[in-house]
Amino acid sequence: MSFVEIVRFAVRALLANRLRSLLTMLGIVIGIAAVILLTALGNGAAQYIQSQISGLGANSITVLARAPGGTAGAAAGASSRPLTSGDAAALADPQGAPDVGYVAPVVQASLTVAAGANSETDTVIGSTPEYFPGSNTVVASGRAYDDADVSAGRPVAVIGRTVADDLFGAGSVPLGQTVLVKGVPLQVIGVLQAKGQGGGFANPDSNVLAPITTVQSSFTGFGNLTQIVVGARSSATQDAAESEIYSILDRRHGITDPNDRDYQLISSAQLAQVLDQTLSTFSLLLAGIAAISLLVGGIGITNIMLVSVTERTREIGIRKALGAPPSAILGQFLVESTILSVLAGLIGVGLGVAGTFIPLPNGFRAIVVPAAVVVAVVVSIVIGVFFGGYPARRAARLRPIEALRRE
Amino acid sequence: MTVRDVGRRDVPVLDVRSMSKVYGAGDTAVHALREVDLLVRRGEYVAVIGQSGSGKSTLLNILGCLDAPSAGNYYLEGLDVADLDERQLSVLRNRQIGFVFQSFNLIPRTTAFANVELPLVYAGVSRRVRRERTLAALDVVGLAGRANHRPNELSGGQQQRVAVARALVTAPALLLADEPTGNLDSASTEDVLDLLDGLHAAGRTIVLITHDDEVAARADRVVTVTDGRLTETSGLRR
Ligand SMILES: Nc1ncnc2c1ncn2[C@@H]1O[C@H](COP(=O)(O)OP(=O)(O)O)[C@@H](O)[C@H]1O
Ligand SMILES: [Mg+2]
Repeated sequence: MSFVEIVRFAVRALLANRLRSLLTMLGIVIGIAAVILLTALGNGAAQYIQSQISGLGANSITVLARAPGGTAGAAAGASSRPLTSGDAAALADPQGAPDVGYVAPVVQASLTVAAGANSETDTVIGSTPEYFPGSNTVVASGRAYDDADVSAGRPVAVIGRTVADDLFGAGSVPLGQTVLVKGVPLQVIGVLQAKGQGGGFANPDSNVLAPITTVQSSFTGFGNLTQIVVGARSSATQDAAESEIYSILDRRHGITDPNDRDYQLISSAQLAQVLDQTLSTFSLLLAGIAAISLLVGGIGITNIMLVSVTERTREIGIRKALGAPPSAILGQFLVESTILSVLAGLIGVGLGVAGTFIPLPNGFRAIVVPAAVVVAVVVSIVIGVFFGGYPARRAARLRPIEALRRE
Repeated sequence: MTVRDVGRRDVPVLDVRSMSKVYGAGDTAVHALREVDLLVRRGEYVAVIGQSGSGKSTLLNILGCLDAPSAGNYYLEGLDVADLDERQLSVLRNRQIGFVFQSFNLIPRTTAFANVELPLVYAGVSRRVRRERTLAALDVVGLAGRANHRPNELSGGQQQRVAVARALVTAPALLLADEPTGNLDSASTEDVLDLLDGLHAAGRTIVLITHDDEVAARADRVVTVTDGRLTETSGLRR
């Protein structure tokens, strides 16, 4: 009996038992697709968080006001003092804080930004030139504002990529043009490099950066700071810089209990560590779910195959009684289960990979993990082929009459 | 194995010598066959009768090489079956033996054509020849028009005729039938028995199990199985 005949028999048997074939394939398809999707989600989340972290400047420490015992960024309560320009100046003093490299006081406000007929609400951030390295922000065209712009309070702005796209057209470089921020004209002197959704916690591509003096005089007034971005001289001195910040601000804010500060430090290193922990927990969870899906898929396949063993064993008995050589029977069953498993594997991979293209909120994407695809496919196909060939291997040892008698 | 190779024509199709079959072991052992001897010559039509549980099916299954005896010898066309391995046995079942079961044993959800064609595929017959012989066999049993019907689309009698066609299609020396009419109504029984008569007339060797005297009456010879032992009962021949 030729291989072609064996394949013909296998295909005929699969088609003669469509429901059984489909159910078997379903187990493999679901198992593989689930593993691919879940690991892709975990991987996507990992890369998303990685890019979030890189959105913060290296060696930078952000000082935020908070209510004592409250959460970061909460409105300063009665017993808490806001962050002030005085605080920023004290941190910039090389005597008191020798390990601090730079200090960028930050004020920000959500304001209407318009150009021509277009307008939108963006976050307008006023700071000093140190803010750029401190927040890992890179100017793609034009230039950043400099100290002269800050001291003169010039009406200039560096705008995010999305702002330029929205107000001046996609891909435009509107250097020298004017944007109206809450009616105040600012000249565009630079456009930021696109960071994508991943940079920082708000989308930096939708920010408008201007000298702090300009923002204070035109929009926020000369009161409190939103935050202070402090840069350590190097990553080696980051811890030293942190303790200097604590001692200066504790003194200025009259803090006696370190557990009850009215401000909070967030360092990129610290954040990275926290996020990393969260992430590995999350990935572990997803891997667990993926493994369970694979297991459930595998049990599904096994179940269907075993349920059909009795029927198949009788069929094998008939075939043997008609003179089928052992090789023809084993061959047919192996070809059958191989066709099913491989076909289901392909569909599963297709569905799983297609699933990763479904857009997700917050701009994070599922990114396929090739190793997971390989593992899922191999495991499912091995289960499929093994249990598909099981009736044949079992019945191959039986005399025809024994196989025929199976109920 | 004395003179059995002298002339091929004289070699009995079946030669069973003091064959026994025991199912199970120890206390629960069932002696289904006890030292049975049976000789069937070419062209003979032998009916095997006996009470239920007497060992008829056991005997026929061994004759069809579907089962192996516990003791004794079985020569099929002069060949000691015990000497054959599984692959050689499959060739034997394929070429020499056509087996008809009481419960038809067609492959479910598979057309009559494909069922009848099956032994020819295992025999390695080419596709074109297969087609001719399958249609011819279906024609013999009067089901040429039902070639593309599946077993569940056929009556019991038609299914059994498909099974007979499948047993005939390789032109085996020996046709074995285990109560082929046991599950059929009287009209279908007539059909199948007429078919066997025709095959007998064409020179086929047939061994058939029945517990219907009328069925047995069509055979040349009748052997009776009683509690695993064989007795020859001749003279029932019409
Ligand atoms: N697979 C088996 N295992 C154990 N006992 C069996 C088996 N097949 C048949 N027997 C026993 O062997 C005896 C003969 O059975 P069988 O040949 O089927 O009888 P018959 O076909 O004449 O009705 C019975 O007692 C039956 O119970
Ligand atoms: Mg019986």
